[in-house]
Amino acid sequence: MSKNSLGDYLRRFSVPLMFLLICAVCAPISGLSPSYLANEIVTRMGRNAFLILSLLIPIMAGMGLNFSMTLGAMAGEIGLILVCDWQIVGIPGMVLAMIISIPISALLGLFCGKVLNMAKGREMITSYIISFFINGIYQLVVLYLMGPVIPIKHGTIKLPRGYGVRNTVSLLSMRQKLDNLIPLTIAGVKIPVATFIIVFLLCLVIIWFRKTKLGQDMRAVGQDMEVARDAGIDVERTRIISMVLSTVFAGIGMIIYLQNMGNIATYSSHSQIGMFCIAALLVGGASVDKASIGNVFLGIILFHTMFIVAPKAGTVITGDSMIGEYFRVFVSYAVITVALIMYETNKRKNKSKESQQLALSQEEEVNG
Amino acid sequence: MDKSKKKVLIYRIIALVVLVLIATAMFIIGRGHTVYFDNKPLEYGGKTIDEVPYKIDVLVNGEKVASIKEGERGMVDTMGQNFNMQLLVTKEKDGKTSKIQVGLPLPYNMDGIILNLPAMLAGLPQDAYISEFIPTPSAAELEDEEVVTDETEGLMDFGE
Repeated sequence: MSKNSLGDYLRRFSVPLMFLLICAVCAPISGLSPSYLANEIVTRMGRNAFLILSLLIPIMAGMGLNFSMTLGAMAGEIGLILVCDWQIVGIPGMVLAMIISIPISALLGLFCGKVLNMAKGREMITSYIISFFINGIYQLVVLYLMGPVIPIKHGTIKLPRGYGVRNTVSLLSMRQKLDNLIPLTIAGVKIPVATFIIVFLLCLVIIWFRKTKLGQDMRAVGQDMEVARDAGIDVERTRIISMVLSTVFAGIGMIIYLQNMGNIATYSSHSQIGMFCIAALLVGGASVDKASIGNVFLGIILFHTMFIVAPKAGTVITGDSMIGEYFRVFVSYAVITVALIMYETNKRKNKSKESQQLALSQEEEVNG
Repeated sequence: MDKSKKKVLIYRIIALVVLVLIATAMFIIGRGHTVYFDNKPLEYGGKTIDEVPYKIDVLVNGEKVASIKEGERGMVDTMGQNFNMQLLVTKEKDGKTSKIQVGLPLPYNMDGIILNLPAMLAGLPQDAYISEFIPTPSAAELEDEEVVTDETEGLMDFGE
């Protein structure tokens, strides 16, 4: 291997390698037992995988990291709030919440896709701001319309003032129902088999989707929009479909996530989830324009291992558990920032390389 | 409308119908209820059912969910509109235990349902032994709750 390629290789995998190093240092210091760590990682794998997988399709279509996956998460939360009030429990409750979330997610995805088509080249920042905008509408619906317009019956969900939803909604009636549907414990590690089956099915769907005509179109659009347009692909429509699919999957993923948690933080669950999912995907070695299923799983393992061990290691080293808490949050944002900088740097490098090549060829043409 | 568009429309309608059907099924089979078992005397139609057994054990899906002595109440969370349970009734202390299998439909509109077991065992009609449990809100539930919608609340407060 040449020196240059080793450097490239290190640069490409710098984030996963850095996290591997952090985990390798922090894990022994934290004093957590390997079985506890394994249990936590497996649980978090089941909890987060579906959500993170929902980010792959927009990347494939060249739309970068879908910060507006929070739109789907909000739709999932609305589904769960309604289902809780209707007292539909267990797996049927989850399925019903998913069915409710699908049209809401699809509409939000459609809206987002249309806006992003108007802001080509600035998809990530636009989707980030859209998530704030829709969060305002979500708050309007959940805080003021639920009660007087959308009937909410139960006092455990509704605020004492008679309208709006409480800060926390309990999902005790469906807590870990999917995870425990097929119980399996291996060497003290609880495996959420049913959740893994659903995640596996989504992986198969993504692999199959890449090979379909629409999937190929998305990849073509992702590589070069103008070339794809010249090839007869309806670029705008393809991009909208990718956003709709991603948002719908995010909605379903959020329901799987929250059933594992056992409660909804009505006004904050969705805003945090987008950031952490994107960070986990980047930690797995993905970039703004390239991500695979492998990146998703590697990302979950590394990012969540850091998430588990950092507070404990922080406590051991400094005597203050908050240091570790700050550390893990700071690292999440730092990873996203580094990925964005690397993406922009590479883009500029490639552009300058292209223009240098163009200048050279023009010079050659002039000379001879 | 051309043939392929018609085909797409039909597929979409079928998908919608399937989703609606699944949602309806989930509504019915997933309805949760809390069933309360009372082993207490009951007045019905001017008559008092005061033949209350010493103890009743309630088994749901083969699992003991409540052991209710005279004057006590037990409960179980259940899903769906049909409720099946097995009652192990001990009429007197140290007496013989009899096994009774009971299956009954639950009213959809009730979240909490009180079953008066002595009245049910006495063969009274369903409206006599089934009543709605209306929970009294706890002090914590009635307490005003400040809604936090902005995680950065306070961070932008730079003072005067």
